[in-house]
Amino acid sequence: MSTRRRRRNPGVAYPDVTGTLRDRTVDALRDPTLADNLRTAGDSWGAGREVMKRDFGFDEMRDRARDIRRSNIRNMPALLAELQSNVRANGGVVVRAADADEACRYITDLARARGARVVAKSKSMATEEINLNEAMEHAGLEVVETDLGEWIIQLANEHPSHIIAPAVHLNRNQVAALFREEAGTDDVPTDREGLVAHARVRLREKFAQAEIGISGVNLGVASTGTVCIVENEGNARLVTSQPRIHVAVMGMERVIADWDEAAHILQVLPMAAISQDAANYVSLITGPRREGETDGPEEFHLVIIDGGRGALRGSEFEEVLSCIRCGACLYSCPMWQNVGGQAYGSPYSGPIGAIITPVLEGPSSPGSRDLPFMSTLCGACGDACPVGIPLPDLLVRARARSSSPAKRKAGLAFRVWSLLWRRGVTYRLTMIGWRLGLRIRGRGGWVHRLPGPGSGWSKVRDMPSKWPPRR
Amino acid sequence: MSTPVAQMVESLARRKATVQLAGAANAGRAAAGWMADQGIVRAVLADDPVVDAVGLEPALRAAGIDVFRWPVAMGRREVLGLEGPQDVCGVTVPTLGVAERGTLVLEASVGHGRGLDVTNRHHVSLLMADRVVETLGEALAQTFADGRPVPSAVSLVSGPSRSSDIEKISTLGAHGALTEHVVIITP
Repeated sequence: MSTRRRRRNPGVAYPDVTGTLRDRTVDALRDPTLADNLRTAGDSWGAGREVMKRDFGFDEMRDRARDIRRSNIRNMPALLAELQSNVRANGGVVVRAADADEACRYITDLARARGARVVAKSKSMATEEINLNEAMEHAGLEVVETDLGEWIIQLANEHPSHIIAPAVHLNRNQVAALFREEAGTDDVPTDREGLVAHARVRLREKFAQAEIGISGVNLGVASTGTVCIVENEGNARLVTSQPRIHVAVMGMERVIADWDEAAHILQVLPMAAISQDAANYVSLITGPRREGETDGPEEFHLVIIDGGRGALRGSEFEEVLSCIRCGACLYSCPMWQNVGGQAYGSPYSGPIGAIITPVLEGPSSPGSRDLPFMSTLCGACGDACPVGIPLPDLLVRARARSSSPAKRKAGLAFRVWSLLWRRGVTYRLTMIGWRLGLRIRGRGGWVHRLPGPGSGWSKVRDMPSKWPPRR
Repeated sequence: MSTPVAQMVESLARRKATVQLAGAANAGRAAAGWMADQGIVRAVLADDPVVDAVGLEPALRAAGIDVFRWPVAMGRREVLGLEGPQDVCGVTVPTLGVAERGTLVLEASVGHGRGLDVTNRHHVSLLMADRVVETLGEALAQTFADGRPVPSAVSLVSGPSRSSDIEKISTLGAHGALTEHVVIITP
């Protein structure tokens, strides 16, 4: 495959993540609060999915969703050209960014040129991927995440733990503590309703100040040049209606042909993501405000990011471009359910994150090359995916191309083993050596500790000193 | 009652919106009565013929509720409820309703601000019964039909604002309206 060589900024995984994947996983497993919070989330998703299947025919909608997305990816260049020309025809500005640097530079330059100081953001994985907040803060802007979960995460100075439920690893007491700190007073409610109402008022102050609103894009409809933004809280409605400038940031694969297709995906998305048959608010935005309209942004900018996606078309990983970022594979995954998203060290966690992070970054990137191994290959993610991405197969493919010192060492060991056992003579010699070794190390019929590669195995197991038994 | 309207009523209830059915002659009074019961002191109305057809403005005045018409000459802080009264209600007129999902289709225009349904604490929608279609597919096909001018912003609203970001439990009244009340105007 022909990906990646040209990419200047390959970072998808967070640059500030500490420790190895193994360290982070072990830390997460040792956190009892995290385990409880994740279990609550996973259980509620599982129950919801059953309701969607039973009452709303979710399973019957998946085949068409898959076909639509496959065809979108097949026709991506033409659809993007159509989207671009229609957005421009409606008075919007379209920017194609090859990578994170280009996208961030365009947005920070725009903010500088317009003299903006405060930026209100609604939830967007694409901006998380390109590390936009850091770039904007570096440019001296105040950036406020307005999705409740994202704001909590911003206050906690953490990274999101789930694609659509970023603060799912925190409970209400932890949230109340963060709000008290932000408000600089102990006069903050501790019940859920009170916390939500508190955040509403604090964030409205920011909406009143923001000159720029930045949103993500769930779908870009080519036939009319419209971006669709799906949410439940209403903050994206405010981000796209109150500030003078709206910048929508979109991964290039989010393009979709027409409204017939969009209507289907707009229904599948909330079903898959939150087990609801509709999202509360869907904003369908076609350019800036028109002549005579008194609210809505005066400028509309659409930033379309490649970031390594274009090169995936025609590769063995093309199917990941179908992803609609619903987060269902995360909830379904026994790995994610136990360690949460933060251990992955990437904005994209769970099965899809374990594939796209290393696929976008390249097979030997130290931040993500181990991620495809964060899976038991149980297949739950493949069953959960609403657009039929063969996630377990892709995890195996991503493992096959992953390259790390540990994996190379293991590969060498397996090659030597295979060489030795291919001939009868060398096979018998290794077996004699093995039996001899066990006898020497054995105490009272058992070997308690094996050397070298066997040490991990023997950490929690004993091996009989006469093994394998002779027939 | 025709089937799509009955289904709309059911779907809106599922979405945690409240619903009233009223003929054109009573719809204004019905809406104003509901608002008065909620303690609403100010209403911001979309400038739409339906608002006048149901006589909402006089009914609101009779109920002692302050009336504003879109476009309003308010600063952004007041629009956002940071100044002025808290119990403000935006009144919208959907171009379509989606029976299967309880979704209202709101098109931005000169008389219909984008923020009407979301900036205020309460949201009342005046939905003509003959505008209820069955599926989202039909609604979007009509909204974005060839030859029809594409609106600058369309908002699909399905129930009051909510968030599940704290402990994954749905809590109403996040950034948008805390209550959503739909008056379906029957022939």
